[in-house]
Amino acid sequence: MPTLKIDGQDVPFEPGDTIMRAAWRHGIEIPHYCWHPGLSVAANCRMCLVEITSGRRMDLPILRWDDKKNEYVPHTKPKLYPACQMTCGEDMEVSTTGEEAQGAQAAVQEFLLLNHPVDCPICDQAGECKLQDYWLEHGHQLKRKLTEPVHKPKGVRFGPTIVYDGERCVMCTRCIRVCDELVGDHVLDMRQRGNKSEVFVAPGRQLDHRYTLMTEHVCPVGALTSRDFRFKARVWFLRSAPGVCVGCARGCNTHVDFDPRYDRVYRLRPRDNMDVNRFWMCDDGMMTYRQVHEDRLLVPAIGRGEEREELTVKEVLRVAHRRLQQHEGARVGVVLSAHHSSEDNHVLASFARDVLGTDKIYIAANGGWAGDDILRHGDDNPNRAGARAAAGADAESLEDLIQDVLGGEVDAVVALGWVSMEGADELGPIAKLRTVVSLTSNDGPLPQVANIVIPVCSWAEQSGTFVNEQGIAQEFRRAIPAPGNIRPAWQTLVELAGLMGGQLKYAALSDVRTALTPTGAGPTAGEARA
Amino acid sequence: MEPIEELEQDALELPAEPMRLNMGPSHPSMHGTIRMVLDLDGETIVNVDVQPGYLHRGFEKSCERGTWTQVFPYTDRLNYVSPMLNNVGFALAVEKLIGVEVPERCQYYRVILGELARISDHLTCNGAAAMELGAFTPLLWLLKVREWVYDVLERETGARMTHSFGRIGGMAAPPTETLADDIREVIPQVHKVVAETESLLLHNRIFLDRMQGVGNLSKEHALGFGCTGPVLRSTGVDYDVRKDHPYMVYDRFDFEVPIGHDGDNYDRFMVRMEEIRQSCRIIEQALEQMPKDGPISIDDPRLTTPDKGKVYTTIEATIAHFKLVMEGHKVPKGQVYGYTEAGNGELGFFLVSDGGGTPYRVRVRPPCWFGLQAAREMLLGEMIADIIPTFGSVNMIGGECDR
Repeated sequence: MPTLKIDGQDVPFEPGDTIMRAAWRHGIEIPHYCWHPGLSVAANCRMCLVEITSGRRMDLPILRWDDKKNEYVPHTKPKLYPACQMTCGEDMEVSTTGEEAQGAQAAVQEFLLLNHPVDCPICDQAGECKLQDYWLEHGHQLKRKLTEPVHKPKGVRFGPTIVYDGERCVMCTRCIRVCDELVGDHVLDMRQRGNKSEVFVAPGRQLDHRYTLMTEHVCPVGALTSRDFRFKARVWFLRSAPGVCVGCARGCNTHVDFDPRYDRVYRLRPRDNMDVNRFWMCDDGMMTYRQVHEDRLLVPAIGRGEEREELTVKEVLRVAHRRLQQHEGARVGVVLSAHHSSEDNHVLASFARDVLGTDKIYIAANGGWAGDDILRHGDDNPNRAGARAAAGADAESLEDLIQDVLGGEVDAVVALGWVSMEGADELGPIAKLRTVVSLTSNDGPLPQVANIVIPVCSWAEQSGTFVNEQGIAQEFRRAIPAPGNIRPAWQTLVELAGLMGGQLKYAALSDVRTALTPTGAGPTAGEARA
Repeated sequence: MEPIEELEQDALELPAEPMRLNMGPSHPSMHGTIRMVLDLDGETIVNVDVQPGYLHRGFEKSCERGTWTQVFPYTDRLNYVSPMLNNVGFALAVEKLIGVEVPERCQYYRVILGELARISDHLTCNGAAAMELGAFTPLLWLLKVREWVYDVLERETGARMTHSFGRIGGMAAPPTETLADDIREVIPQVHKVVAETESLLLHNRIFLDRMQGVGNLSKEHALGFGCTGPVLRSTGVDYDVRKDHPYMVYDRFDFEVPIGHDGDNYDRFMVRMEEIRQSCRIIEQALEQMPKDGPISIDDPRLTTPDKGKVYTTIEATIAHFKLVMEGHKVPKGQVYGYTEAGNGELGFFLVSDGGGTPYRVRVRPPCWFGLQAAREMLLGEMIADIIPTFGSVNMIGGECDR
């Protein structure tokens, strides 16, 4: 591989790479606002100006202000090049920290802040803002222009998800390019010139495609903010756990941002994975974090509808055990979930085969949504592949379960998860059974037809593995502890199996994973910089 | 009945086994909470086990939670009798790691406030030493003048004891206009009271008998235990960080390092008395040499928070403030040992930075810890009543020793 030298360090590059991309791949940060690895090159922010010290120098005669003489003096400066646009050459030598490059970075930084409002205390970006970071690293010049800044529209509603603040904007056009290049919807553009420039939405339109939150995600400053996240949390209090989106079978990698003080998840962010989602996520996926706190079922209960009665976990497990014992094991239907981890599904399948002794295994899943050829997969279940692997070849759907119930082949059900494409009405025949155990984190059709409800952890409260549509097994990690003494489904099942006299020899998640490996679980797929 | 002649003469003595006695951890005549397990033969100390740690409150671990600046209030509570010396010591260590030096005016300011703190430290220690031997008047006199020293510090920093006045790259505020006048008023008072105290004590037979030749520590033992400060100097070793490894502007002052020769209570007492006078000399010279104006903090927004006015009105200052307050100083990756002469000797800060805004590790070398180790050596063979003045002259400060 050919190499170039950046600040004396050898950096390999592929032919055609820009200096910025070679540096990014090598883990060197050249300051930039408008460049994004997933977008085209705009080279408009000028923050990445570098000096190329090898080859023929192009010197420019300029006048430079001399503080001592108090006048302009003639000076020669080398021409600087934007690293994001300059193609690498063999043995090129680049200086990003030389006096000239640093001077340019400081000057650009000072220009960008000329008209910036004093918004940090009320800005959601504060704490993860490039303007703040680079000011400290590359500028640290206090304000010299003391006249009134230029004012621009603030708090402009771009659409149902995004609010725009013109005064904070640095006109990097990343948001415009996301709409153009990722979504193919030229809904944003820039108008006016110079310090009057602003981003605006096409007349008669709203920013309302399916990837609007990516505009906020790529915004290096606080110009675009998510209406969902606005004013909810300060980012320096948030911690992050690696997650996998539960929106669809694509399995986009996420950062699950949570506040450890309140054990609350506040948002998802895409986690770069070149094999799966590259840098992006869709809006619906970004909003799946709400499942962790909305419509949760947290209290164990028995009975249906009005007669539902709350119990403790211990009591409800004992009830489930007694009821299941009254049925013939082979006539119990077991429902796996395409929304639960491979580990949960695997333990439930073992529970069915080894403890109950039934081969009536079904899979509950959502019925699909509108996919596209960007990220959204038509199958809106994160782990159908994992559930299938656990169920074996002859897995049947919930529809088959209803038929089996009506046909009298199944007279008790153990179901995982809350998701099903059938509503509670369609599941009516199941609701008539004497014993329907539901292990669920949220409310939904399955817990509604159950008469024994055992709450389990949601995906943010346990570690696990989802297998996406490509067959890549991706691990996600626990972000927050589960409320109360709720445990993951697989642990709950191990305890229930213990009560029923069966043995499931899983003491830790790693035991389940060891048992799983042949059927799909593996290491987290894809590297961020593949 | 057995004839008495058959008994040997020695057998008339009652057989005495060593008695084990716990002194402390909460004992009215002990400084701070510390426990001593004594083995006594009558009133003579056969063995003593000094057990510190009752004031341990996780200082070093706490420092890893906040930003570098947020360590200053913790350092106040190390040796709480001279908090300014701790503030300055910590600031110097961090600045050494960053590789910056504060403006000259700030260096003088730090010297002046630090020496005032040293005076208050020694006044307290020596006052207590006299009081514990029954002489209450010297304590009241010395504390009276200590209050006046505190008045000066309060006018400068806003607080009498826990100043939290140090900052990385400077001090929290510039000197007040009346600093020189205030100090020139209080220093003659210090001299006067020190002289009066000496006239009361140094011809007092009881005081001399209890102090001279009691709690002896040899030069070799002092060095072996790692003692510094008055405890080491009283044994005749001429070592003072200010002289031997001058920091800030200490090399510009003309002052003596008092040393003793016996390493007993009396020498430790007298070394401290003389150091008060030398500190006064340093302060007088520093006041003369200190620039009348100029910046008190390094003029770099990466180190020093800008004026509040600018923070509220300009984005650049807001960012600087935000970065320093929310994320802390970006101290370069590395480790450093910064050491200064505090009231009890060499106060060292060993700092490790991982480049983030928070200390990765803060380790303190508390000077009185080493004196405390030597306390056993001083006390062996002495009478039980000698524990009080001897332990007092070691000047163990729980906040610093146990951290």
